[in-house]
Amino acid sequence: MSTLMKRVFLCIIGLLAGLASWATVELIIIQQAKFPSYLLFSITLGVIVGIFMSGFFGTSEGIFLADGSKIIKGIITGIIVGTIGGTAGFLIGQAILFAAGNNLAHSVSDINKIALPLTRTIGWSILGIFIGITEGIRSFSFRKIKVGFLGGMLGGITGGLAVEYLPRILDNLLVARLVGFLSFGFFIGIFYGIIEKTFSLGILKLLNGKYKGKEFLINQKRIKIGSSSWSDIKLSDYEDIDPIHAEIFVKRKNVNIRNKSKESIIKVNDDITEQKELKFEDVIQIGSAKFIFKYS
Amino acid sequence: MKSKSILFLFVLLFIQKAFAESVNISQIDNSSLLLDQNIRVYISITDNKGLPIKRVDEGKITVSESSDEKNFKKVKVQSFKPEANYERGINFLLLLDNSGSMYFDLNGRETSDEEKTRISQAKRAVIEFINSIKNPADKVGIASYNSYYEVYSMPVSDKNKIINYLDEIKKPSGEEGWTEIYSSLYLAAEDFSQISGRKAIIILSDGENRPFYVHTGKPHRDFGKKVFKYQEAIEKNIIEGVSVFTINYGNPADKKDSGLKSISYNTGGVVFDAYNEEELKSVYSKIRERILSEIMITYKAGMEPAEKKYVKVEMTASDNSKVSSTRYYISSMIFGMPLKESTPWLLLAILIALLLLWLLSMIKFKNRNTQPLLEILDAPRGTIVSRTLALTKNQTVIGGSKNADLTILNAPSVKEEHATIVFDQKTQVYALKSKEDVLVNNKPVKTKILESGDVINVGGTTIVFDEGEIKKKR
Repeated sequence: MSTLMKRVFLCIIGLLAGLASWATVELIIIQQAKFPSYLLFSITLGVIVGIFMSGFFGTSEGIFLADGSKIIKGIITGIIVGTIGGTAGFLIGQAILFAAGNNLAHSVSDINKIALPLTRTIGWSILGIFIGITEGIRSFSFRKIKVGFLGGMLGGITGGLAVEYLPRILDNLLVARLVGFLSFGFFIGIFYGIIEKTFSLGILKLLNGKYKGKEFLINQKRIKIGSSSWSDIKLSDYEDIDPIHAEIFVKRKNVNIRNKSKESIIKVNDDITEQKELKFEDVIQIGSAKFIFKYS
Repeated sequence: MKSKSILFLFVLLFIQKAFAESVNISQIDNSSLLLDQNIRVYISITDNKGLPIKRVDEGKITVSESSDEKNFKKVKVQSFKPEANYERGINFLLLLDNSGSMYFDLNGRETSDEEKTRISQAKRAVIEFINSIKNPADKVGIASYNSYYEVYSMPVSDKNKIINYLDEIKKPSGEEGWTEIYSSLYLAAEDFSQISGRKAIIILSDGENRPFYVHTGKPHRDFGKKVFKYQEAIEKNIIEGVSVFTINYGNPADKKDSGLKSISYNTGGVVFDAYNEEELKSVYSKIRERILSEIMITYKAGMEPAEKKYVKVEMTASDNSKVSSTRYYISSMIFGMPLKESTPWLLLAILIALLLLWLLSMIKFKNRNTQPLLEILDAPRGTIVSRTLALTKNQTVIGGSKNADLTILNAPSVKEEHATIVFDQKTQVYALKSKEDVLVNNKPVKTKILESGDVINVGGTTIVFDEGEIKKKR
């Protein structure tokens, strides 16, 4: 899958997350009268949206890598991070509303038109941040967390504004809410994809075999390549590959490769290599798999 | 004789009714509903002489809430605070009629004595009212209206500043003299949105709503052909939590605006008539007294979904009769009203989303290519015609010639026949051969046996050799 296709996929995942969140929110708001307070009601909605959004986006890396175990781990991480994100997103937004209080909003219409959508948009962006960092947390990558933070925040702000303001523009509230949630998921997907590509230091593209054409962004400090589930780039349908065979690492913004296997070799431009700084269009061979290194 | 008795009884009943004890909801503050679930209801209670009562037994008051104005549910009162507005003060916006008729005398006749004009009398009454305010927490603002609404100052503590602004209210000229009551009240409420606390507009009027567009046929400077309805002014003032108190000033024979009366009634205000300067001065004080004597009741709101929630305050009067007042506040949530009932479509939508996600996870994006081919990975713009070339011949020429199998256009460094991919039928192996150095896997070579995934660079065009499934045939 190319990086462009990956961004398209992220948007599709975002739309699906939006669809599931919308339907669940509709089911929850039918039960409004059973909640003890508006505050708890709103937080519940935030948590539900957080779980679905983070859960769906948590699967993304596993889907790109065609790795079932990463999909499951992504969903579990997403549900945990989404619960925290949904609560934090709304509570922080709410806290800002508390703090802004009388200084910003002096009437119901002020609150409904400005303070509430604005602070809740901040809440949506915080939720977006948590959705964005899910993959970074799953893979213990600070660089991915940074990318997710920025992408999630931008997507959260844009999508949050759509969720908050579309019901004011569109007559059919049900449709407005649906479009709002779809936009929220879509924008998180699109911004995550754009930021991820912008901040990556290069791309490894598979040149042969069953997964020829698949691109891997170098967006974390260390990327393990091998046949094991623990590797970041899992090569399951290639020959002569050790569980952790090689490692891509970033040193002073330069991308390097080193052999991590004691038994097997790696080649860069047909030369056996233990460690090498990669240059544009270098060809890496790990077992039977060949990659080309390109700048993103 | 009999008819006289009936008339007497009727008048007696009317008087009794007119001066019975009453309760009136003057403001509902729901601005902290989301934060602490509290609704604050301000009520004013008047005795059988129409005078405000500052204190009343809490037990005589009940509060109930309804989502449909029919089925009211009693709520538990959290706190009951008499004279609630004294500490936090009141924000008054004095909205003066500055239409052409205000420059007549009280009998509606033109006068050369400026002091006898209605506007001069109104200004003097306003000065007396402002000077009578001793509570530093109270704030006063000033605005006027004719064809146009003009605000001179929103409520401030500096009362002298407001008095000075009165001099800026000048006689309207030409088509400025119409009376835009409803639009002005709408705009005043909008201006009031910037201020928190107890808010009251005191509007002085000497006639009826006479919109500019309706009477001149010309579009209004600010609203064009839009003519405001009094209902819009009601809605806006309710949303902004403003009570509108009306003073009808002028001759008893003057027509009074029924819409303005409705605005006051629906926003928790009161309508007063003043027929001379002294009465006018006392009315301003009465309004202030009335607001000061308001009682604030706080209760926890219910969670039933509704765009509006109706609040009913009921009081047991001294003769054990029940008097009540009902008003509503806006209770819509940001996502709006829920569906009336759950629909299977929602569950289906969740299932569809999950199913599609599962299907996405099933896509492996496997390379389906079974034929040996060359694939262009990167090429400068305008140098290539197609992205792939199947290797069907024993010799495949790459070069700048139009007769080459893979033509690279507009690249001066590329020879007519730059490199050839040769297929050896015996060994089933592909090899690259060239007279010049060609970059294969970033390394210059003249000949090289190709393996799947090898990268050939010809004049900046990057080509990948893909063996396809050839290995299976060996």
